[in-house]
Amino acid sequence: MKKVLVIDDEAIVRTSCERALTPEGYEVKAVSSGKEGVELLQKESFALVLLDLKMPDMDGIEVLNKINETWPDTKVVMITGYSTVETAVQALRLGAYNFIEKPFTPDTLLAAVTEVFEKTNQGGAEDRDIKRDSGNP
Amino acid sequence: MRNLFNFRNPEKSIATKLIIAIGLLISIVSLIFWYAILQKQKMDVMSIAVKYGGSFVNFTKESIHHSLLTSQRDETQRVLETLATPEGVRRVRIYDHKGKILFCSHKKSVGQIIDKATVACKGCHVDPGKSSELLQNPQRWSVYRENSGPTLLKIVGPIPNEPDCYTASCHVHSREQGILGFVEADVSLALLDEAVFKQGLALTAYVIVFVFAVSAFLGIIIYKIVSRPVSELVDGMAQVAGGNLDASVSIKSGDEMGVLAQTFNSMIRDLKAARDQREKWTQTLEAEVAKKTEEIQRTHANLMQTEKLASLGRMAAGVAHEINNPLTGVVTFAHLLKKRFPSDSTEAEDLNVIIEQAERCSKIIKNLLTFARATPSEKGKVSINDVLSRTIFMVQNQEKFHHIKFNINLEDYQFIILGDPSQFQQIFLNMFINAADAMNGRGNIFVSTRKTTESGKPYVEIEFTDEGCGIKEEDMPKLFEPFFTTKPVGKGTGLGLSVSHGIVKHLGGHIKVKSVVGKGTTFFVRLPLAEEAR
Ligand SMILES: Nc1ncnc2c1ncn2[C@@H]1O[C@H](COP(=O)(O)OP(=O)(O)OP(=O)(O)O)[C@@H](O)[C@H]1O
Ligand SMILES: [Mg+2]
Repeated sequence: MKKVLVIDDEAIVRTSCERALTPEGYEVKAVSSGKEGVELLQKESFALVLLDLKMPDMDGIEVLNKINETWPDTKVVMITGYSTVETAVQALRLGAYNFIEKPFTPDTLLAAVTEVFEKTNQGGAEDRDIKRDSGNP
Repeated sequence: MRNLFNFRNPEKSIATKLIIAIGLLISIVSLIFWYAILQKQKMDVMSIAVKYGGSFVNFTKESIHHSLLTSQRDETQRVLETLATPEGVRRVRIYDHKGKILFCSHKKSVGQIIDKATVACKGCHVDPGKSSELLQNPQRWSVYRENSGPTLLKIVGPIPNEPDCYTASCHVHSREQGILGFVEADVSLALLDEAVFKQGLALTAYVIVFVFAVSAFLGIIIYKIVSRPVSELVDGMAQVAGGNLDASVSIKSGDEMGVLAQTFNSMIRDLKAARDQREKWTQTLEAEVAKKTEEIQRTHANLMQTEKLASLGRMAAGVAHEINNPLTGVVTFAHLLKKRFPSDSTEAEDLNVIIEQAERCSKIIKNLLTFARATPSEKGKVSINDVLSRTIFMVQNQEKFHHIKFNINLEDYQFIILGDPSQFQQIFLNMFINAADAMNGRGNIFVSTRKTTESGKPYVEIEFTDEGCGIKEEDMPKLFEPFFTTKPVGKGTGLGLSVSHGIVKHLGGHIKVKSVVGKGTTFFVRLPLAEEAR
């Protein structure tokens, strides 16, 4: 299963991601804060995290650092507003896989997500995910 | 003359002192002359009188010569009486060597002895008592006066012995006798007195008139060459002391006073020049201070304005960011919905409109964020023509540019420059907004790009021409200064060109301006092309 976690404080963004990705065969879970996201990541593993840069409680960059440290196999795609391009660039340097700008179309999102799975999850990563998946329930 | 005598302390004024001194001198000299002339005249008159007296004595001697010789005593007496007149000859008499009067016009005194203390004896003898001793220079006349009467001249003439006398039959005189007797005449000098007196009067009058005339003349001269210039100078100095530096002394004479006045005038001129200079300095200083104060106030106002704008920009950025979230929803769901309908259905078309409009919203937000300068710079390959077209497109949709026609002539070439597209957009936007402001929102804007070379390196030249009000010559040097603006507060911050200039310079380019007031302005922005793009 291609598991995607969406962390965004905006409900509409979360829903948009769910609705855009689910029909394409992705298992999407969404939380509204970085804290919740980290908690959920501790419980189950995700191949991809769609992470909003700007959030009230925990900054996107912080969450990114935490994910990189704790779950190095989990890829992160940042969601940014136009005004935070530089932060997005910084995020890329810090280990984010890619970024997409808001507002995005379902196709752009899908393209970005598909790219992640196609390029990196062809081999062991997915397997490992599955193993961990199966080991955890 | 008022100044001459009323001038401050009259008794101390130079003029008064000079006049008194000179007047005194003239008076003394005149007095001496007056006296000398008078004396001389008297002496002259006297010598004439003596001469005539002598002639009269001789005449008397001639007249009585015969009667004496013939011893006609009565005849002699008669002649003498005839000769005497009250106005002229008061008395004429003959006396012998012993002083006994022999004949006299006053018959009664015949036989009397004359007063020996008079010139009758003293004329020749040292001592009338000893008849032998004679004076070396006998003066046989004298002048005297009988109380309140006229001046009288007493003149004595000796009657010498002669052969006819001592040979005469009467034998009265011996041959040895030297002098037989004397003729003495008392002549009245009343007429001469009067003449001398009159002359004295006239002379006195002359002297007085002379003294006065000379004094007056001197007074005037002194007044003219000393007092008046001095008082004018003093007046001038008083005026200068009182602060009036327009004063001048109008003494044109070539003497020391004139030189003094000229020196004084030039001194005032120098003073005035110095004061004017100082006043000018003060004024310029004040003006400078006022200008600087205004500048500071303006800068302050502009800073406040910029601050406001900046916070407005931040707010706009925040708002834009927030709007992006709902827009994401709109776009996503529209797309999702669209997928449920066949692509040629009306529903799909309607949804396309929704998507397009949502995307337009997103574009507007991007431009808003660019303009709010909230976008930090990122360097990349930028195509100038693309950014220009995009900016023009964006600007054309704004109300401000509704009545402006864009005439675009871009050279078909990929002008690639390493930089931040939003910064170029910022430069171009400011050019267009400035042009629109200068044209009051109506007219043509000409935009063109062309390739040029500068010192062997390829450049792109972007030309912005408008038909606006133009830029005043005096504003030209200030154009690129931060906060220089001619626009009302709130409309222009005066940062546009200065920021543009900063960006262009940073990239190794430059901006040039040509402007004709009332006709329009052209800005040339030149940027060096990136290495790879060549
Ligand atoms: N095309 C033009 N025609 C006439 N005057 C111009 C033109 N461009 C600039 N100026 C003059 O130069 C001044 C400075 O322009 P600049 O763009 O630096 O500041 P601004 O437009 O006043 O304010 P801002 O751009 O910060 O909103 C303007 O106020 C205007 O007087
Ligand atoms: Mg401007």
